[in-house]
This record gives sequence, C-alpha cells and structure tokens, in this order.
Amino acid sequence: MPTHFIGRRLATAGLAATALNVVARPGFAQAKLPTLSIVINNSPWFDGFKSVVDQYEKETGNKVELDVNPFGGSLEKQRSSVRSAKGQYDILIMNSSWFAEMYFGGFCEAITDVDPSFKLDPGIYTCDDTCFFDPASKTMTAQGKLYSMPVNPNIPLLYYRGDLYKQRGLTVPKTFDELLANAKALHKPPQIYGIAQRGARGVAAVSYDFYPYLYGFGGGLFRDQKAGDYTVLLGNDKGHAAMDYYMKLFREAGHPKAASFDQAEVLQAVATGKAAHAIAVIAAWPQVDDPSKSAVVDKMELAPPPSLPGLPTGPALGHWLAGISKNVPDDHKRAAVAFFRWFQTADAQIFYTRAGGVPVHKAALEHPMGQERKYRWMKPMAEALPHAINPFRFPESPEVVAILELGLNRVIAGETMAAAGIDTMTDQILKLMTEKGYRTGRG
Amino acid sequence: MAQAQADRAFRYATLTPAALFLVALGVLPVLNLVAMSFYTIVWKNAAADWQKAGLANYAAIPGDPLFSAGLWNTVVFALASVVIQMILAFFLAYWCSRVRMGRTLYRTVLILPLLVPGIVVGAIWKLFLNPEFGFLGQMLGVVGLDPIDWLGEAQTALFAVVMVDVWHWTPFCFLLLLAGIEGLPRDVYEAASIDGARPWQELLWITLPMMLPTILVTAVFRFVVAFKVFDEVYLLTGGGPGTATQVISYTIYQRFFTEDRAGFGSAISVSVIFLVCLMLVLALAARGRLQGRPA
Amino acid sequence: MRRTPALAAHVALVLSALIVMVPFVWVIGAGFRTQISLLMGEVWFSPTLASFNDVLFSRASDFVRNFQNSLIIGLSSTVLCLTIATLAAWSLGRLHWPRSVVVLFLGWSLLFHMLPPVMLAGAWYSMVRAVHLENTHAAIILAHTTLNLPMALWLMGVFVREVPQELLDAANIDGASPWMALWKIARPIFAPGLAATAIMIFIFSWNEFAVALVLAVKQTATVPVGIAKYAQGYEIQYTQMAASAALSIIPAVILLILGQRAIVSGLTSGALK
Repeated sequence: MPTHFIGRRLATAGLAATALNVVARPGFAQAKLPTLSIVINNSPWFDGFKSVVDQYEKETGNKVELDVNPFGGSLEKQRSSVRSAKGQYDILIMNSSWFAEMYFGGFCEAITDVDPSFKLDPGIYTCDDTCFFDPASKTMTAQGKLYSMPVNPNIPLLYYRGDLYKQRGLTVPKTFDELLANAKALHKPPQIYGIAQRGARGVAAVSYDFYPYLYGFGGGLFRDQKAGDYTVLLGNDKGHAAMDYYMKLFREAGHPKAASFDQAEVLQAVATGKAAHAIAVIAAWPQVDDPSKSAVVDKMELAPPPSLPGLPTGPALGHWLAGISKNVPDDHKRAAVAFFRWFQTADAQIFYTRAGGVPVHKAALEHPMGQERKYRWMKPMAEALPHAINPFRFPESPEVVAILELGLNRVIAGETMAAAGIDTMTDQILKLMTEKGYRTGRG
Repeated sequence: MAQAQADRAFRYATLTPAALFLVALGVLPVLNLVAMSFYTIVWKNAAADWQKAGLANYAAIPGDPLFSAGLWNTVVFALASVVIQMILAFFLAYWCSRVRMGRTLYRTVLILPLLVPGIVVGAIWKLFLNPEFGFLGQMLGVVGLDPIDWLGEAQTALFAVVMVDVWHWTPFCFLLLLAGIEGLPRDVYEAASIDGARPWQELLWITLPMMLPTILVTAVFRFVVAFKVFDEVYLLTGGGPGTATQVISYTIYQRFFTEDRAGFGSAISVSVIFLVCLMLVLALAARGRLQGRPA
Repeated sequence: MRRTPALAAHVALVLSALIVMVPFVWVIGAGFRTQISLLMGEVWFSPTLASFNDVLFSRASDFVRNFQNSLIIGLSSTVLCLTIATLAAWSLGRLHWPRSVVVLFLGWSLLFHMLPPVMLAGAWYSMVRAVHLENTHAAIILAHTTLNLPMALWLMGVFVREVPQELLDAANIDGASPWMALWKIARPIFAPGLAATAIMIFIFSWNEFAVALVLAVKQTATVPVGIAKYAQGYEIQYTQMAASAALSIIPAVILLILGQRAIVSGLTSGALK
C-alpha cells in the first residue's frame, strides 16, 4: 500500500474533523476568545510556526501574540512567567531539555483538564510519549494525561554534500567507519572540512551533538529512566568509545574551530560550503535551500545519523512541546485548546510543512510532497524518527546538561583528555543523582 | 527652637529616600542572597520549596570549575584591560593636549564607543572578528595571511575580549586624563622650557608625576567597572571556548539563572561580595599608608 | 622645532579615530547585505533593506517597542535617581550629619557599586514578583535607579560642594527655609552639574543589560535585550544583528551632538574634583 494513500485518507479525516468542530460547536469560531500569548524561541523553524499562526488567525479570526526569545532566554522567560501569581504566557513552547521541569514543577495544566472533550488526533506523533504525564507517579507514558501538544519532533540528521558524493562516487554512510572515511575523503582545508561539529558550550549545544554518537555506539546516559533506574552509563566502554570516535573524527576530518561552534556556526559552515558533513537538527534545514542564506542550494542531502554495524541509528529528540500555563485565566486556557484543536488537524499540519515547519502529523510527514525535491528531508526523517530517544525524563536535567556541556567542550578545546573528561563527567553526574535522591550507580 | 526642629526634619527628609533605596533594594537583596545560600530551592506544585542545605552550597564552591576559572579570568581581564587602556589613553590625551587644531573633533569621535551599549559593542565585534567574513580576517587575507579566529581559540579568546574592552573603554580613560592634563598649571612648563627641557623630558619628569593622582583615580574607576564585566562576554563568547573567557558575573548568571540553582548561585555571590569587601579594605588601607596616616 | 611633535600627534590621533570608526562603518554596511553575501565575504554587494525591514517591522521583532521602553525606563529612572541623589548629596554634604552616618552611607554605596549587578537581579526579581510589579516598567526603573544611585551620589556630592557657604548663610539670615535655600539659591549654581549627572544616569540606564535581561518581559524589554535576541539564537541572524546594532547607535550620536559638554563634564568631574 503506497504511503501517500494513508496520508490522503488521514488528511481527509482531519479536514472533516475540523469541519465538524466548526459545525457542531458554533461557539468555537464565534465566541470572542482573548488574544492568545505564546512564548517561543528563535529557531530556524520559527518562520514555519509564524506562518501557521498567521493562517490560524486568518481562518478563525482569533488573535495570537508571539514572544520570541533566544533559546536560553526562552526558558528564563517561561520560568518567570510560570512562577508568577499570574502568568504572562498562555502557551509555553517547551524544549526537550526543560519540559520535565515544567511538568514536575506543577506549572502546566493538562489539556484534557481544560477541555475534557479534547482528543489527541491519532495521527500526531507523541515523541516517545513525552506529551503525556502522570503527576502522581511522575512518569511519562500514554497512560498519563495529555499535558502538551507536540509542535516539532526535532531530531538531528546527517547533512552531506550530495554533489561532492556524486563527483567522488561515495555512498551514503550507514556506519561510523564509513562516515569517517567519507569525511576524510572530502576534507580539504581550508577550502572545505570533512565535518563541522558543534562543540561549543551552551544551554544545550555540544551535549546534543554528542548524543547520536553515544547512542549510535550502543551507549547511553542512564540505564532505564522509564523504570526509575538512573545507573550512569556514560563512563562505560561504549561511552569511552563514542568519545574517542568523536575526537578522532574531529582531529582527522573535523573543522578545527569546533570548540567554539554552536549551531549558528555549524550552519554557517554548511551554508558557505565549508563543511562536507554536519549532524544537525532537521529544524535547521529551511535555510540550507534558501538562496539568500545559502551557497549550497540544492547540494545538501540528508540521511539518518550513522551507527555501529548492527545497531540502529540513535538520534536524540530535541523536540518541542506546547503546554498550557496553569496560572492564566480560564478563557486563555480555552483559547489555547482552541488553537491546539486547529493545529493538530492534518490540514494545518500540511500547511505548516509547506511553510517551512517540521510536522508532527503522519498525514503531513507521509504526504506525497515528500517526493518533491524541496521536501527531500521527509524520507530520512520518517526513517530515523522511530529510533529517536528522549535523553532526559527528570526535572534536574539542566544540571546534567551543564555538566556535559562543560566537560565535552573542555575535551574538544584540549583542556582535558577524552578518557579523563568522560570519567570526570560520570563522577559529577553520579554525585548529582545521588544528592537528588535517584536510584543510581556506575554501570 | 522651631528653626532647629525644621532643620532636623529637613535633614531627615532629604536623606531618607536614598536611604530607603539603598536599604530596600541594596541591603535586602544581599541579605536575601545570604539566606538563600544556606538552602536548596526546588519548585513543587507551582510553589518554591526551601530545603535546608547547611553549608553544602559553600562546600561545593572550591570544586566548581566555573567559579575558579571565572574569578581568575575576571582578575586577569580587569588588570590587563585597565593597564592597556591607561597606557593608550595617556598617550592619546598627551597628544591631544599638544594639538591646537581639531581637538574637539578628535574628542567627539573618540567618545562615541562610550555611549554605545556594551551589548552592541559585543555585537559589532562578534561580526567584525568573525574569521570567515569579518573585516579583520579579510584584511589579513588581502596581505596573504590566514585569518585568525580570535574569539574561537582558547589561547586568544581572553585577549580578544580584552581588546574589545579596550576599544570600548579607552575613551573614558582618555577623557579623564585629557581633562587632567589640561588642568595642569602652565607655569611649570614655562619654567621647564626656559631651562631648555626637551619634550620627552617634560613628559617624563613633569607631566607624568603631576598626573599620577588622576591616573590612579581613573584606573580604580575602570577596575571597578571591568570587574563587573558581563555584557560583552555574554555576546562574544558565552564564557568559552572551554572556560577561557569565563568571568565571575557570567558564572553567577549561569549557575543562578540558566541552571536555576538559586542556593548555589547565592553562595557564589556571597563569596564574591566577601572578596570585594576584602579588596575594598585593602585598597583603603593602601591609600591610608600612601597618605602617611592609618586607614 | 615644535612642528614635528604636533604632526606626529595628529597622525596618531587620526589613526585612533579610524580604529574607532571603522567597526561602526563596517557593521552599518553589513546591515545592508544579504546573509549569504556577508557569509561569503563578498567585497561588492548590492544593498538591501531587508534586514532593517525585518528588525523594524517583522512579527517576531519588537525593536520599535524596545526603543520606547528604553526611553521610558531611561527618562523615569533618571528623574527619580537624580532627585533622590541630589537631596541625599545635599544632606550629607551640607547638613552636618555625624561623620559615622556619612561614612556608613558612602561606604555602603561604594561597596554596592562594586558588586556585579547580575547577582542582585535574582533577588530583585523575587521582590518585584512579591509586590506584583513583574510585568511593568516600574520594576526596571526601580532597579536602574538603585544601580545608578552610588554614581549619582558621588557626582552630585562633587557639585553641591561648589555652592559657596556664604550664600547659604545669607539666605539663612534672610529667613529662607532650608527647602528654599536648596531650590532657589543652591540649585541654579549646581544646575550644570545636574545636567551632567542626568546625562550619565540616562546613558548607564540606556546601556544596562544584565538586570534588564532578567527583569524584562516582552512588553518592557529594552534595546540591549532586544539586540541580544539576534545574537544568541540557534539561527544565524548576522545581518539583523548588524542592522539592529546600527539602529541603536543613532541615539548615541544624537546625544553626542546635543550634549557633549554635559557628557564630558559628567564623566570627568566625578573623578577629578
């Protein structure tokens, strides 16, 4: 059965659902809803989200206000808002690195508590079930309440120069050895570097760059977070192997300035044709094909991140969820639900995709437009998404991320050796998890 | 009698607003920091939960790489940038005092960086120093040299931040020193020139010694502001690469806000306040000794 | 004999002026480029207004509002801080407080002035929240007033000293109230000092970043907070960053043209008198 058939059927279903909503609930479009306030970070996919919000305003007549912040600033703004007596934002666009903080802190209202009749569209990708939460057991499984609406199932993919691959007769790398070989083959500094790694210390920069290597080597940070087993795995032989490989890639085919490369610099290297490869989030894709921003239009291709032979690809979810603030008036919460109702329809999702967003609905991700050159990211995306791993499921994760950011950055900057760096980070994470009272140990 | 009472009322009325501000918004926050530094603060059910931590936050400070690197870099940064600025500013002021034509014009141009927000200075130099497309890189390219990633290399990053600060703040030192030189008594110079002193002799034996108090005051002023550096680092390097440009303000910002560790961040702040007090006492004692009386 | 050093001085000064101006000019130029033209380091480019347009008018941008906020916050905190500081400086300098009070007051403001503002921001944030001022300009106005108070106290302390005691004694004999003596007799004498101090407070408030970053919300964000947005995203926004930097230089240039004398006196008198 061709995939696009499902897509079309779902799309029709979604359309019908929207129509039903409007017909069955006349209040839906007419009752004057307050201006919806959304806090969001400034990412390359923001333009897509902005367009979909514009479309929502046009179709429903409801008003939306967007507060756009830098990635780190967005978290601080959300913290201040949810900790106030009266929140400033109705909808929080939460990144994978901090939604747990919002769930556990009691700052989000379950969508189904605002409107019990709300049903998550079955086509929506639930991002490792992180949109569900059970406040009693503090777990994120489908048995919990619906606490957020996925907005962008962001994962990293391997960006590579298709034109150079064709010239040199290279094949798309599936394993780390192949990636290293291809990166070395195309490494011709200073004209072009084999791979641009994101090695800078940020809110979530180098750690996020490292996860696909860690998972691709069969390693991990903790043994089983869903089961409450926080045994630290970073320091085992797989963690060391991943770190050694990451550094080997850096030394033999990497951009030498990786230690100061955050996402903007990696994308700069890609856009100016200075990087033959990069592992970067799909959300960054829109600008690669934009002639006013890129010198490699139509030259980049995508593939799932490589892994060891026999292991699946291991992209880490860097996804975005939209939650409703608890400390805003009820009519604002209802306005948020009204937006979600519209946003989760296949139609809105297809519109979102065409506007430069990354959809969370199967109907959009498997839509026939995936055959078009412009949407060539959809196939590798659909391939890698089922293997995506959510790195953290506990609220203190920013402290673990801070340990990783500093530790990994120091290894790349040459301040510490790879092995010593991994061991130090492992010790620090172990100490932190013990202090916080988690069941932990060295694994 | 009524007169004295009115005077006393006036005395209190004029000082009270400032006292209120300095106590309510100055002393209270510091006390708040001291209090928080003995707790770990977590959020449950949308409310803050203060958990007793004893001295744990303070005990963790020596082991915090961002604290030690931050403190060290801040001192290096402040000393280096103040010294370079004072030397440059002294010569600029000296030259400016020697020209008759265009003195106001030079002064106008040289003041400009002072009026621009630190964050804008950071933005300008982040672009200007970019190794791929920045002006400096391109100029080096014209001469046939490889561009240098000033902000991206651990060896040069702190130096680059210092140079940006020099660009930003030399004008301040220049203005103060220029006013100082212009205020020097003329007759000493006249006497010197009658004695046949050469310009460099004048500079070394007359201008420099007479300017010493101004130079010291300016340097102290600058050091205080340099010690608080935050904006430029926030924008230029974010403390990296590694910890090469980590300054103490940025450490506090990261621990307190980014990582949301109010207790630990407070403990770091209190330690910094203690160090600042120590510095202040030492500086006052040194001044007292210089002036030949106990502080 | 005298000619040569003057020429050398001119050369050195022109060179320094160039070092100051080139980054400004280059960044303004960068604001008129397309992103890829900037990234590729093209020497010649056809100017576009796209980045300025984006900074000023796009949906994601609040630059115009940031400008208004900076003005509101800068002017209000200047008036408030100047008033408080002038009264206090007058009180401490002229009204015969015990020496211990003066030392305590000035000592604390000196210490306070040396603390990195970012460490106070957290406490201010919780205080502001406690009195429900969190989404208002008042939060930042009060913070900036406090931050600039030590500097204003110091400067006004210098300026009130310039008022001759004989004038005040004469006024006292004539039966003028202490308020009248301050307002009618002393104020006209230190008016230039007031202007200089005011302009310093305004500049420091306009430039302040760390505290505004923590206290500001979308409706109250100042220009520096707005610019930081272009610099620390996950996206390259170099041309927008350049355009917004270019726009935020304009007030500095205007101030420099209109108030150079006051700026120079504000900067120099605190340290030199």
